[in-house]
Amino acid sequence: MSAPSMYLFVFFGIFSALLLITGIYCMLVSFNLIRIIIGFEILVKAATLLIISAGYACGKSALAQVMVITLIVIEIVVMVVAGGVALWAFRHNDNIDPRELGNLKG
Amino acid sequence: MLSLFILAPLFLLFVLNLPLKPVNKACFWLAGVLLSAQILMALGHALCPWSLYPDKLGLFFVFNLVMDNLTLVMLLVIGIVSLVALFVGKSTIILEEQRFNFVSLVLACVIGMNAVVLVRDIFSLYIFIEITSIASFVLIALKKDKLAIEGTFKYLIMSAVATVFMLCAMAFLLLAAGDLSFAAVHSAFYNPANAGLLKCGAGLFLCGLLIKSGVAPFHGWVPDAYSSAPAGVSILLAGITTKVAGVYVLLRLFGSVFILNAQFQNILLFAGAFSIVMAALAALTQDDFKRMLAYSSISQVGYIILALGCGTPLAFAGAIFHFFNHAIFKSLLFVNAASLEKEFGSTNMNTLAGLGNKSPVTGFTSLIGALSTAGIPPFSGFWSKLIIILALFSAGRFVYGGIALLASILTLAYFLAFQRRVFFGKTESTLSSAGTSWALRFWEIALALITAASGAVFVLVHNNWVLPLKAIFW
Repeated sequence: MSAPSMYLFVFFGIFSALLLITGIYCMLVSFNLIRIIIGFEILVKAATLLIISAGYACGKSALAQVMVITLIVIEIVVMVVAGGVALWAFRHNDNIDPRELGNLKG
Repeated sequence: MLSLFILAPLFLLFVLNLPLKPVNKACFWLAGVLLSAQILMALGHALCPWSLYPDKLGLFFVFNLVMDNLTLVMLLVIGIVSLVALFVGKSTIILEEQRFNFVSLVLACVIGMNAVVLVRDIFSLYIFIEITSIASFVLIALKKDKLAIEGTFKYLIMSAVATVFMLCAMAFLLLAAGDLSFAAVHSAFYNPANAGLLKCGAGLFLCGLLIKSGVAPFHGWVPDAYSSAPAGVSILLAGITTKVAGVYVLLRLFGSVFILNAQFQNILLFAGAFSIVMAALAALTQDDFKRMLAYSSISQVGYIILALGCGTPLAFAGAIFHFFNHAIFKSLLFVNAASLEKEFGSTNMNTLAGLGNKSPVTGFTSLIGALSTAGIPPFSGFWSKLIIILALFSAGRFVYGGIALLASILTLAYFLAFQRRVFFGKTESTLSSAGTSWALRFWEIALALITAASGAVFVLVHNNWVLPLKAIFW
């Protein structure tokens, strides 16, 4: 890997670090199950950006693109399941506040 | 031939979902035959090495599947535990629609787990871990009651965060190695040019996998998910699903792909010892049997992580043998929990008392499971703990070896407290049995026999299964 492509990786790495911080803040601060799911989606986007820039920096763009497309499909499936769980939480509690999900303790 | 382990369950899953009435009626038996075939193939591999036959299906599905001794042990455990979970689900899940969904999801889990143990590529590993996890999310929420939804959401979010760690780690490994196959990553570790990037990648992977395996600082989701799931599903989760998705990947990557340097060893040793002690102390205070078993599971995973951190081939073989034993005796104890729940309608230890006369088989087999977990000589749990503790002492880790030795007493304490509260003593007249289930009795006795037999013929097991495992460790 050459020096300019390494700079590019660092440049995108800073952006994906910012996205990671945004996603973690979103998951920690909001009291809303849907927003937690959105925060997770932002985290995955940060990881996707990191993988695609790593693939470009080491000269394996095609491999990185294949990975990212597969990854997007899998994340959509996780999101659908998470959305379904949030829907059932709403049906049981009549709201989507994660503080209502505190019955299991010990 | 190896791709059959993935394609045969996939084909069965496809056939079951065709609108054919007789096939749907027989779904449990078809899946049971498939899993029995998997057990037989794993057991008979030494007699007839069928994995050497050329793989014509590999012309269409390029996966680079490889069989070795670790994979063989894993395929055997996956077969046994999934079979038990399937038939416990058959006798505890009543609604017709839920029964059908249960079989389909167990098959999806089996596809994911078989593929996880067969692939030799980090990205494929990630894909199949996610398939296994997604199927188990839906399995936990199968009954859609309030507690199950809560347990599922906690597991889902923790697992998702672990996934993000693993994806970031993959980006670093891709940058340093140029490819994600095990061989490429392993050879990149011998190149001093990218040492920082590789260490960063391996560290992030370690964080993700410690969350996935539910080791002590990140264990919050484990008891919630295990105790809120239906009975058959908690056997599958505690016995194999979370272990393959977390602990197996940890063993594989840090045992034969990444270089296990002193820093990672210290992290693994500390995490293992901390979760052994913390989870055993937490298990002492539980009132619900399934929550107690979940904490016990965290504690036993601690032993496996501790042995991996020791970093010698003997400790590695001991870790895999303990993995096998843990899958068997924890499944046995969860079948006991399912049996108590079905007969007396509760797993709360405050309402159950003196059941030794009413259900002697459950009482006796749970005693065997408890003694095996605590490491009492005739049973298999003793031998694997002995290997781990001997390896720790011979590597000079005397403090960690001492912790592992003394924590066995804590394990014995909480299991004997449970036995005394639930099975010994006077029988409460208010408790009435809703009828015994012979299917559950059969699986209890079968698993108790496996754990007793593999302890009794330990020399045979040691020479044929445990010793070859040392070669996997780099």
